[in-house]
Amino acid sequence: MTTSLASTIGPAVPEAVPMSFSGRGREFLKILIAGSLFQIPTFGFYRFWLITKMRRHLWSNTQVAGEAFEYAGTAKELLIGFFIALAVLTPLYLAYFILGLMLEEKHALASIPLVIVMYVLAHFGSYRARRYRATRTIFRGMRFWMTGKGWAYAGRAILWDLATILTLGLALPWASASLERYRMRHTFFGTLQGDFTGSGWTLFKRGVWVWALGIVLVVGLPVGFAAFLHKQGDPAGLWANLTPPFIILLAFLALWPIAMAIFARWQLEGIRFGEVTVSSQLRKRAFVGVFLKLIFSSLAFMICFGLGIALVGFIFKQQILPLLVEFNTVFTHDSELVRESMPGIATVVVVAALLYLVLLLGLGVIQRYFIGRGLWAVMVNSVSVANLPALDAAVAAGQPSGVLGEGLADALDFNVGL
Amino acid sequence: MADAAIFYDGLSARRRAVSIRITSSSLDVEEAGQWIASWPVGKVRRADAPEGVLRLVLQDEPGLARLDIFDGALQSAVQAACPRLHASNPKEKIGRIVLWSAAAAASIVLCVLFLVPVVAERMTPLVPASWEKRLGQAVDNQIRLIVGDKICSDPQGSAALASLTARLRSSNPAAEEIDIQVLDSRVPNAITLPGGKIYLFRALLEKAEAPDEIAGVLAHEMGHAHHRDSLRKLIQTGGSSYLFGLLFGDVTGSGALVFMSRMLVDNAYSRDAERAADAFAGQTMTDLGRSSAAMAHLLKRIEGNESKLPAFLSTHPVTDERLKVLERLVPREQGAPLLTNQEWRALKEICKTS
Ligand SMILES: [Zn+2]
Repeated sequence: MTTSLASTIGPAVPEAVPMSFSGRGREFLKILIAGSLFQIPTFGFYRFWLITKMRRHLWSNTQVAGEAFEYAGTAKELLIGFFIALAVLTPLYLAYFILGLMLEEKHALASIPLVIVMYVLAHFGSYRARRYRATRTIFRGMRFWMTGKGWAYAGRAILWDLATILTLGLALPWASASLERYRMRHTFFGTLQGDFTGSGWTLFKRGVWVWALGIVLVVGLPVGFAAFLHKQGDPAGLWANLTPPFIILLAFLALWPIAMAIFARWQLEGIRFGEVTVSSQLRKRAFVGVFLKLIFSSLAFMICFGLGIALVGFIFKQQILPLLVEFNTVFTHDSELVRESMPGIATVVVVAALLYLVLLLGLGVIQRYFIGRGLWAVMVNSVSVANLPALDAAVAAGQPSGVLGEGLADALDFNVGL
Repeated sequence: MADAAIFYDGLSARRRAVSIRITSSSLDVEEAGQWIASWPVGKVRRADAPEGVLRLVLQDEPGLARLDIFDGALQSAVQAACPRLHASNPKEKIGRIVLWSAAAAASIVLCVLFLVPVVAERMTPLVPASWEKRLGQAVDNQIRLIVGDKICSDPQGSAALASLTARLRSSNPAAEEIDIQVLDSRVPNAITLPGGKIYLFRALLEKAEAPDEIAGVLAHEMGHAHHRDSLRKLIQTGGSSYLFGLLFGDVTGSGALVFMSRMLVDNAYSRDAERAADAFAGQTMTDLGRSSAAMAHLLKRIEGNESKLPAFLSTHPVTDERLKVLERLVPREQGAPLLTNQEWRALKEICKTS
């Protein structure tokens, strides 16, 4: 272990040290599977514990020069955040509903649908959720923390979203740069202020080809295809209806990880804390690889699931068939018959609901394993940190922040990342 | 002991290589031979760290001081010296989480079963008629999306329907504004929307053999409108689906479960509401001097003919009790027919043209 003292900083050569992720996949998978199973008897409430465990695992296995981060949030905090969000949202829903009924003009509120309210809250919540996570992140015996206002951030984000939509996505790099600057400049490690140096122009140059290709595929391809089919004299055939969406889907699947990789690398490279700088060697193919694994694992899981059910059904068909016959009485609406078949119907409904849950939870596990852990590991391992000794000058500051943002994120179902 | 640990004092991010002296009561942290901290062994706890690292924290300490131990031998020595090392991560009480979740679920189910109906009952009279109309409009749009948009409006049939409506209303001058229309649908059904709009579905009209049968059904629906059953049911459905939504919050794909629960809880008006609507229909028909039992006969006839129970009957089961009640209501003197033969034929054909 090297020791470095505060007195040795100065204009020393910026020696870059790599970051690394040391978590074992099997351990994370164990957390995911147990957590997902526990969600069944807890009606999903276990999700707060699961998310906390996932974060603890990811944080504590993320190291800079052998020093690991630590996640200090608790599941109880998330649960409380959820209740607070409910306390905020329920009156909001009610007020919105009653207002809609009260107002005389039929379309008075159609201009401000509930979706827009939720959308504003989502931006607000995402900032507050980031603040929660920052203040629960501990490194070298100090916490990260954030200033800034959730509403100010939401205002900016909304204006930038508008600009992005009006320019068909061309403004996105500058929007991202501006918002990331806001987030990072309001993020502190103790007394050390963060900053973001990535520019919209850089991101634009790196990503414009993805954007152009996307536009060509989404707009050009269906049009071209339709023209082609028109020439063939079969403009309304099945192929004409099915092929373009299919190609768009494939193109999207291929371009999405690439776009994400470009974005993630740009985002990582812009991070600064005082003199400390970050660089990243993130490769696009690493992200593509993770996504391919995700897709193939999901497909394999679904096939195995289907085969498993078919096999069990085949072996126990003597027992299952009468149940299904009983279940079918539901469709006759014959109340007498239905009452007699109730045990069979109940069994079928419960088993089907459980199977459905298992399928969903299984897919959720796979998704979290690759997107949650896989991308995280790829990103962490791509990063090098220079001027690390500059951290020594930082002095502890900041307090843990409230948990409303996480609650909103959970209640409104928007993704704030891990 | 050699420098085998890194100490962060929680005040600055400075990394301090330290050695640790373990005594019976505390871990003494020394940097280059200088004492800097003593941690009582009873208060030392373990924190998350990657494999191979033992990260210690001091319980009840406001700061975030951390002591990372890398040396294996030192780790075992510390583990042996600190009796309550793992107390900061008490075994997660999964049983308790399950219990509380079950309690939350049970309270939501109880709310849906007992509280929501009471609230809906209390709120219904408080809703102004204009709100109810607007709600009805929204429901109307939904219904037309599901059932189809075609309103039957053959002029002669419409005239017959209007005259039937007027006759039915004449016996209840207090009854609110009623708007009855025939919807071109193959499902034999009749529904009442909040705000008093009644849709008679074509298939039910076709199955009827006499004006009194249709008049009875319409009078029954007018009863629902008069008692604002539709509004009450809407409040109830809205409340219970919101509560169930809370419960299944994040288990993805919860939509199906929510929907199922809704179907189970809200698939019909309550028995009491049906009885009241029957009573209203009976009163209306008796006042007009017509038979209340005709409606029951229509329903009975449909029930007998079909293997599948039509929608109207699944929400309006023809129980013997209902039949008996309706048949008991015999008018003291026979009133004039509600429609002439010609009008009745026109009404039956209301969907033919246009
Ligand atoms: Zn009814």
